[in-house]
Amino acid sequence: MTITEGAAPLAAPPRDEPTDHRGSWLPTASMVSTRFMELRRRRGIMITIFVVMVGLPSLFLGVRLIMHLAAPKSYGPAGGADVFTSLVAGVLYVFGFIVAATLGCTAGSVDLSEGMFRHLVVTGRSRLALYLARIPAGLAIVLSMVAVGFTIVCVVCCFAAPTIENFDGAQVPAGLSKSALVAWAGSHSTEIICNLPINGPMPGNINCGPNGAVSIVKGGGGPVAGQLTKAQLSAFAERLAAANYKDYTAIFLAPPISLMVGSGLWLLLEATIGFLVGLGLGSLLGQRTVAVILMIVLEIVLTPIVSRVRIPYMINAQRAVVGIATAHLEPNGLSRVFGSGGGPNARSMLLPESTTVAVIVIVAWVVGWTALGAWRMMTRDA
Amino acid sequence: MTIATRTADDTARGPDGPWAVETHGLVKRFGDNIAVNGVELLVPRGCAFGYLGPNGAGKTTLIRMLLGLTRADAGTMALLGHPVPHDRARALARVGAIVDEPRFHGHLSGRQNLQILAAAREPAAMQRINPSLERVGILHRADDKVTKYSMGMRQRLGVAACLIGDPQLLILDEPMNGLDPAGMREMRDMILSLVAEGRTVVLSSHLLDEVERTCDAVAIVDHGHVIRQGSISELLQGAAVTLEVDCSDPSRAAALLGGTTLGARTEVAHNGLSVALPAGTSRDEIAEVNRRLVEGGVAVYRLQANQASLEEWFLQVTTRLGDPE
Repeated sequence: MTITEGAAPLAAPPRDEPTDHRGSWLPTASMVSTRFMELRRRRGIMITIFVVMVGLPSLFLGVRLIMHLAAPKSYGPAGGADVFTSLVAGVLYVFGFIVAATLGCTAGSVDLSEGMFRHLVVTGRSRLALYLARIPAGLAIVLSMVAVGFTIVCVVCCFAAPTIENFDGAQVPAGLSKSALVAWAGSHSTEIICNLPINGPMPGNINCGPNGAVSIVKGGGGPVAGQLTKAQLSAFAERLAAANYKDYTAIFLAPPISLMVGSGLWLLLEATIGFLVGLGLGSLLGQRTVAVILMIVLEIVLTPIVSRVRIPYMINAQRAVVGIATAHLEPNGLSRVFGSGGGPNARSMLLPESTTVAVIVIVAWVVGWTALGAWRMMTRDA
Repeated sequence: MTIATRTADDTARGPDGPWAVETHGLVKRFGDNIAVNGVELLVPRGCAFGYLGPNGAGKTTLIRMLLGLTRADAGTMALLGHPVPHDRARALARVGAIVDEPRFHGHLSGRQNLQILAAAREPAAMQRINPSLERVGILHRADDKVTKYSMGMRQRLGVAACLIGDPQLLILDEPMNGLDPAGMREMRDMILSLVAEGRTVVLSSHLLDEVERTCDAVAIVDHGHVIRQGSISELLQGAAVTLEVDCSDPSRAAALLGGTTLGARTEVAHNGLSVALPAGTSRDEIAEVNRRLVEGGVAVYRLQANQASLEEWFLQVTTRLGDPE
């Protein structure tokens, strides 16, 4: 091998070696902040995230506020515990996952598809550090959006909550003690008797009509268990109220703080999972569109089906679906995930799974997809 | 002509060694196709080095291997004395490169794209963004989105991306693509100024005229092999010489020269005679051509010796894509 005199090598200009630990797998704060800037300036996806996580709940609650203000007798209050659970489990949970996954898929694939990946690789920076820098940057965006949307829901549901509690159809004042509820029941015996669950025959001279219409009929009618006086009816209603007091205390006008805190953390967990899985999948596939479609199918199609259907010999595989696992970590006050309709029996529709297994499944998904995405980024031709 | 030979001592000197780029037996296969086939390449520090070859010769693949963008199947390589990929982080710390068409995040401005790249380098790189943009002449458009940039501006932004790392070695793959004549001249001047600062520039291109004007040395690659490398002046000395002869009887002149041992190939043109002499022809041999013609009774009005250009020499030594070797 020869090099001629005409191209004789020169002494290289003296230079200090950069002391920036470029081979370290840890991303620098500057890498995270510039990645945050890159994602935040994606106008389309940022508008989508904002509309879904903040706009939709705000619009829904805003319309309810206006309707209630315009016709309070026809339209109930905008907020309350029921609205809270519906929005959290029905909207923020599902759409939070999808928008987080979309942002994750974007963060995981755009450097490659837009030609920046090779520029970044040529810097000599560890590819693992380049991958990991996207996690805090993306989570900062998606979690803040989830937090804003959730805060709006909490505020409206608390401050625009109904003042009268709907207790199995009976319009009962909220926050009564047991003795106060019993006393109130004595003076509203027909409403209590017609609405609360009765373990036994209906008193004979009570006629409970449709839509809560109540009348006391002299001479009875219906399955008569004996004709009662008004005092006897009051006593019966008081016993009924005392027997159902525990259920009464479980009903809230506004969502309790513990439920809001738990729900908020649960939504943040779901969004975090969505982002990390999307990031790994986007990096693995190297393109966004297919990755986003797969994530939507997982959340909207596959998980609801798998949550309800018991497939013989595949129960454990079904339990390994991350949506099932997160559903099992749902706070107790929420029972409507995957449209199960709420109510005390809603949870029984879910495929049974212990909390420990649910946590293991979630950790496995997060770690597994992160490892896959990072591995692909470290080994991919740029 | 003195020949400098790579020695074991050069290799052992590592980062203090004389070579900016050093490869030995480098191989890259894509299935049955061997894109890079045992490339031996030595690029001295502080020069502009052209890496030339026809389309599909393996130029970009070699650059991608050097930069760690794809893995080599065999062989060793080093950048600035640091072995790659073993010591990749240190090797690339002072390397800037454009590979293929420079592409960036279109929704960000040129400055923001450079901020992302500077963040992956040392902290001082952030301070070099404005000077780099100014040097490539797009500082006034630095805050425009890249989608609004022309191809030439993206090329300039790519060079700016190289410069923020204060590189000792720049590897530029077809940097003239998309540039207008004025832009090509500016790029050429900039490359020369970078070399004047003591940096090494490796230029991959098939614009041979630009390479000839810019580079001190070249390597020619064809079908994955480096078939020639050295300084341009030395390589061209090994090329054929063409004599343009304006004379009274071109046909007779051709017959006269055909009977000599000069090894000349003649071609009669409408305005004279073209005589191709083999590589290594001396001035005395050119004078001998003139003497033979005059002694043969042919009046010579003008005789001009033309050294082959880099382009002509390149076509002489490379096989055309698709042709048998």
